[in-house]
Parts: sequence; C-alpha cells; structure tokens
Amino acid sequence: MDRGKVSAAEPYLPPAQPAPSSEFVLARLGAYWQALGVSDPDQIAALSEQALRRATESPEAPGLDAVARTLVAAGELLDDWLARALDLPRSSRELAAARAALLSGAAPNWPAALFAAPDEADTVLDALRAARAEPTPEPSPGAMPAQRIELFGSLASLRRLWRPQPRA
Amino acid sequence: MTQTVQPPIMGHALRRVVFFLLVLLTTLGAMGLMVSVFQTDGLSPMELILLVLYAILFSWICISFWTAFMGFFVILTGRDRWAISRQSGLASDPAAPASRTAILMPIYNEDSERVFAGLRAIHRSLADTGQLAGFDFFVLSDTRDPDVWVEEELRWQDMVRALDGKGRIFYRNRPENTSRKSGNLEDFCTRWGGRYRYMIVLDADSIMKGETLVEMVRIMERHPRVALLQTPPVPINRESLFARILQFAGSLYGRMFTAGLNYWQLGESNYWGHNAIIRIQPFLDHCGLPKLPGREPFGGDILSHDFVEAALLRRAGWEVWLAYDLEGSYEEIPPTLIDYAKRDRRWCQGNLQHLRLALSRGFNALSRLHFLMGVMSYAASPLWLLFLLATGIDAYFQTRHEPVYFFGENWAPVWPVSFAVEMTTVLLVTLTMLFLPKGLALLLLLKDGRLRRAYGGMIKATLSVALETLFSVLTAPVLMLFQTKFVLAILMRRAVGWPPQQRGDHMTGFREAALTHGVQTLIGIVAGVLSYQYVPAFFWWFIPVLLGLVLAIPVSMLSSSIALGRQARELGLFLTPEETEPPVVLDYLAENLEEDELVLPVLRERPTSRFVQALTDPYVNALHLSLLPPREPPGKRRRHYLEGLIHQLEEEGPDSLSAVQKRDLISDPEMLARLHALFWSRPPANAGMLP
Repeated sequence: MDRGKVSAAEPYLPPAQPAPSSEFVLARLGAYWQALGVSDPDQIAALSEQALRRATESPEAPGLDAVARTLVAAGELLDDWLARALDLPRSSRELAAARAALLSGAAPNWPAALFAAPDEADTVLDALRAARAEPTPEPSPGAMPAQRIELFGSLASLRRLWRPQPRA
Repeated sequence: MTQTVQPPIMGHALRRVVFFLLVLLTTLGAMGLMVSVFQTDGLSPMELILLVLYAILFSWICISFWTAFMGFFVILTGRDRWAISRQSGLASDPAAPASRTAILMPIYNEDSERVFAGLRAIHRSLADTGQLAGFDFFVLSDTRDPDVWVEEELRWQDMVRALDGKGRIFYRNRPENTSRKSGNLEDFCTRWGGRYRYMIVLDADSIMKGETLVEMVRIMERHPRVALLQTPPVPINRESLFARILQFAGSLYGRMFTAGLNYWQLGESNYWGHNAIIRIQPFLDHCGLPKLPGREPFGGDILSHDFVEAALLRRAGWEVWLAYDLEGSYEEIPPTLIDYAKRDRRWCQGNLQHLRLALSRGFNALSRLHFLMGVMSYAASPLWLLFLLATGIDAYFQTRHEPVYFFGENWAPVWPVSFAVEMTTVLLVTLTMLFLPKGLALLLLLKDGRLRRAYGGMIKATLSVALETLFSVLTAPVLMLFQTKFVLAILMRRAVGWPPQQRGDHMTGFREAALTHGVQTLIGIVAGVLSYQYVPAFFWWFIPVLLGLVLAIPVSMLSSSIALGRQARELGLFLTPEETEPPVVLDYLAENLEEDELVLPVLRERPTSRFVQALTDPYVNALHLSLLPPREPPGKRRRHYLEGLIHQLEEEGPDSLSAVQKRDLISDPEMLARLHALFWSRPPANAGMLP
C-alpha cells in the first residue's frame, strides 16, 4: 500500500457528483488502486477495467452511487484473489485480515503477484499468511455460573433470635 | 471445584488472637479514658454520641496502627515463616504439563500509547527471563470512544508485528461492556479460560517485572490450595508534587503495612483488582457475580468486584494470599488532589455496596471484616466530620455552663474537676496511633543501608516524612469533605458514572481548583469564624482542620505542580527506590514512551480523527473490519438508524455525530465498507483530500 497516496481525510464527506463521467470514475478508481499500492499504469488500467465490468454486472446496492459501486467492486476483486490464493472463505474475518495484511506493507510487491502465475506468488502469499492478524485464540469456553449471595443473612439470624418462628 | 476444609493452623490462630486482642485492649483503654472524662456528671446525649463515634473511629485507627506495628516487627526481625513465598509447598512434578498463564490488561478509553508501552515493557522483561513461552497477553478492551478504539487496534497490531507476537498477543473489544470490568474478565474466562491454568490481571497503568510474573506462577504451582495471590503494587512514575508525596508514602509505609496485613490475614487475604495471579478454574466455579437485588447505588452490578471475588473464593475453601515480599509490581497513581478525589468517587459506591455483603450468609469472618474495612475507608470521613461537629457543639455548651464553687451552707469552695490530663492523654494516644507508623517506617531504614540510600539517606528521608505528614494533615480535611459529599450523594441514590481516569501528569488551574474547592474553603472560613466567636478554646484545637480547608485551593494547585515535584526530587525529597535505582522494566517503559519505534507507518501519522481514518484509509478500514466480532445483519429499524447517521455524516460532517453514533457506524461491517466506498467515490474537495 502506498501511504503517500492516502493523504489526510477531509473532516466531512464531499457531495456526490450528479452524473459522473467515465473519466471521473476511472480517475477515482486509479487513485484508489494507487493508494492500495498498485503503481504500474497498465496494471491500474487492467484492474480498473475488471472492476468496471464487475460493477455493471452486480445488482444495484442501496445507498451507493455508480462510482461507489465501482470502488466496492474493486475491493471485491482484491478479496476474490486473496480468497482464492489463500484458500479463505468469502466474507469472513480471515479474509478481511488478509486484506489488512496486504495493505499493511507486509508484501510490498503484491501487485506483481496478482498478475503472476499462481506458483510464482508463493513468497507474497507466505508473507501474507504470516502477517495476517490473529486477534483472539480458538475459544476454549468455560461456564461461570452466577453465585448465590443471600443478602442480610446475619440480620435474618438476628431477627429469628428476636422473634423465633413457631415450630410447625 | 470446592476445596476440602483444612484444619486450622495453630500459628495462624495465634497471630490473629494476638492482633485482635491488641486492637481490643487499646480501644478499651482509650474508651476508658473518655468515659472517665464524661461520666462525672452523667452522660449527656451529646457525650454518648461522641463516645460511640470515638469508639468506631478509634478502633479503625487501632486496626491500622497494629497492622503497621506487626509489619514493622516482621520486617525488623526478618522472620516470617508464614509468608507464602517462604512456605515450601509441593515439589514441582517434571512430568506434569507445563502451566499456561494469560496476562490480562482490561482497558476502558485509556491512553493507548501508554497502555501498549507498558505492555511492551512487561513483555520485554518477561522475555529477559527466558520464560516468555509460558505466557500469552490479552488486551481486553471495553473502550467505547471510537477514536481510542481504532488507535488501540493499530497499537495492538504494531506490537504484534514488532514483537513477532502473532498467536501470543491478543486483542478484543467487547460489543457491549456489560458489568464493566468484572464482566470484561468474565467474558475472557468463559471464552478462553479453558486454555490457561492462571491469569494475571493487570490495570491499564500496571507494570510488572518478568521475574515477578514467573515467581507468581511458581508460587501458585507449589501451593495448589491457593486460588489468588495478590502482590502489593508500588506507586511509580509520577512527577507532580502531590503524586511524588503519595509515591513516597506508599513506598516507605506501604511495605510495612502490607507485611502487617499478611501477619494477620494470612490465607484469608484480599484481592485489590489488579497485579494479582488467579487460578482460573476456581475463579470460573465460584466467582460468577450475581446482580444485587434493588436498584443502584446499592443494587445492580457489583462495582468493587475484587473484594467479593476474594470472599467467594474463601467461601469455597480456597486460600487467598498477599505476597507482600514479592517486589517488581507497580502502578501509577492520580497526579493531582482533584484526580485523586475523582478516583475516590468511583470507588466509593462500590465500597459502600459492601455493607450489604458484609451481612450476607456464608462468608468467612475475615471476608466480612474486609468488606467492613472497605466501607470504613469511606464511611470514616462522615463519621470524623460528625465527631468534629459534636465536639464543637459539646464544647459550646460547656462554655455556656457557669461553674458553681459554693454549695449550700458550705463555706469552702468546691473546685470543678479538671480532666485536661485525661483529655490530653486521649488526644496524644490518638495522634500517636496515627503518626507513629511513619516513625516506625523510618526506623526500619536504619536496618538496611541500601534501602536508606535509595530513599535519599536518613536526613532526607526524615525531612520527607515530616513534610509528608504536614501535607497529609493539610489534605486530610479536604478529603474528609470530598468523601462525605460522595457518601451522602450515594446515600441519596445518585449513582456514580464510570468515567475513565485521567492518568497523565497535568497541572490544576485556578478555575478548576476554585470550582472544586471553593465550597470547602468557604466552610473552613465560616467554621473558623463561628468557633473563634463562640468557642475560642476549641478554635485553637481546630486550627489544623481549618487551615487545611482554607488553604485547599492553593494547596491543590501547588501540589499539582510538576516543576515543584521535580525540584523536590533534585533536593532529594520524597525519593523512592524506584526513582533512585529504577528497575529495568521501568527503563523499558521510559524507552518505549520516548522512542516510539513504530512498525506501522500509519501510527506515525497523527490524523485529527482515527474514526475518519477507519472510514477512509484502506488499511485501517480493513484492519478494523477484520477485528469486528461476527454479528447478525441489522434489522430494519437499525438499518434505518444507521442510514440516517450516514446522511448526517454526509451533510454535517463527523463532528456532528456523537461518540455513540460514531461507534455504531464503525461497529457495522456493512456500513464500514459502504462508507469507505463513499469516501473514495467523491471528488477531492481540495489538494489535501483523497487523491
């Protein structure tokens, strides 16, 4: 990931363009790919084309305009590759962790691996596996039942002394 | 997993008999003196009230005094066969599976930089022992602030990368912080407790030496009946004058008091909530906390859970020890008088709740005493205030009473009996009980040359004790009024919030001091004028209390001064061994805070909002998404609410959202991904915007 391309964010979300031109969409996609660490213009063009195709094929998502949908598609492209290469389930925390590892700088030459033959990407994939965050261990649950605390037990004893219960 | 009942040990019983007998006899002696003063012309209702109050307060002082004295005795002789660290216990079985220990750091909106610097220092110190493989680290976050939450995730990931800690250093943020800290720990125990034999619970500002952690595990392995081992945390690292005075007092007197506590508490000791090791299985079996019936402040969640957990373990037959002689356990304290009072405010409600528990069925006698001592640490203040008021009123009525020298036909005068000697004796005994422990702690320095030098030498240490005593005399009335106010507020059912602590050094300004101590100053002035006017004899006795109140604002401001704290250090005042000979783990902490060698470049950037960064920065967004717990997709109403927040963010910017709303947005994976795409889809507003 190229951190130089991820400058400080605005304190607000700028308004959407009413009818974005294809140049604008490509510019946004290009900026996004660059921020992710893809610097080769040919690779950017190829990835953007795939993202555009994917976005047109995908159903309309509520609340997302055409440009945002294309950017979602770009992210999904990356996730597809990671899921396939690392054998991870789609829409999983593991996949999100793999994406985070990819963008953390653990494998700076990942774009080359993306375009390379699967067997040539081993080094990058090993680096990603090693860098993937593991926030918690496998669960090993135990029961922790709430304990019974009888309040004012001592007071009750005193009360009984004071006013003994009649024997049944 | 309940322990079989062990027959009582004679040595233990003897210690307790000696201790409580001394407390009882001293209290009875002082009461005898008081009664002899009062009973000449019969006990008035006011005198009866004074007598009852004095009995309660004096016995409280007696427990403290004799605890310190026993600690003095133990350290002086160097003999304590019942110290848990010196008991032989079981020999280690080489064939037994190696135990695993989880080091837990529960946090809540804390300064992430400090939290992780501390954790890294502990990790490094543990690595120095060569025993790192037996320990895992858990950062158990209950943080609600979205900016702090994202910062924690980045710091955690940075620590994992820097220390190659994948699979050993863990992080999780609870979606709901049910039952606060006890719920946080319970969540750990029920989810991952089965993986570990022990857990070492830290606080956000705890620091522990690696050797100490290893030794704690060793002791637990040798003593399978022990469920909890508490170490005494020594206060460190603060620079303000207030905190340095407290650090000095905590360090010099603390070791004597903890030795004294162990003298009579032995295996029925207490848990202070952190810097302790706990055997997980009995904790799971016996420490699930119920909600107390009724509403807050006395009902609901048990707030000061530590005392209750220790009592529950004892109820089930497990031992709880204070390892007073284990060094290398540290904590940081509030930097100013006002912060100290704020911490008291949080603790007060939990401790008062213990009044109900002290009378509950099934707890051991010592557990009940722990509960009552917790209550008294706050209830003592209103009782002292009542005592002072009652004394003043009684003194006023005494002045209104005209002495009669001649009775009937008798020509010889009958002089009124003076009880000045008895009253002075009562006062002197009380003052001795209060201040003698400080002298005893100084005496102990004579025994140990290395320690004496660590406190700056005998002269500097003596001067520091004198100044500390003066300072505690000045601040005691202020704390008395604070705590009285807290107790009254709680009794009036005004529940306490759960504000995070302000832990870093900072100065108290005039406005803050005046707003906080203004009423106290006024009370001091009014009480001074009234007593001078109506009971002048009482006024002079009352001066130490009045001075404390009248000077509350300047004392609070001056004592918060970091410059004065440093100056005192240069003069060799209030020195502690941790300042003169810092242990390596504290050097590691200082290095971590100064150098800030960060692996993740994103941490070197200082954005105005980590929340916005979680929406815009692809890496931060992906990391945050990967750490979100799995959850059901939101329902229709929830979705509308979240979409409304997105519209608000679009139209009014992130500052228009509350912390809760921001947290809601970044807690939802779908909204997180959607907002990320939205931010990148928009044209950059200016050159500083997204490319």
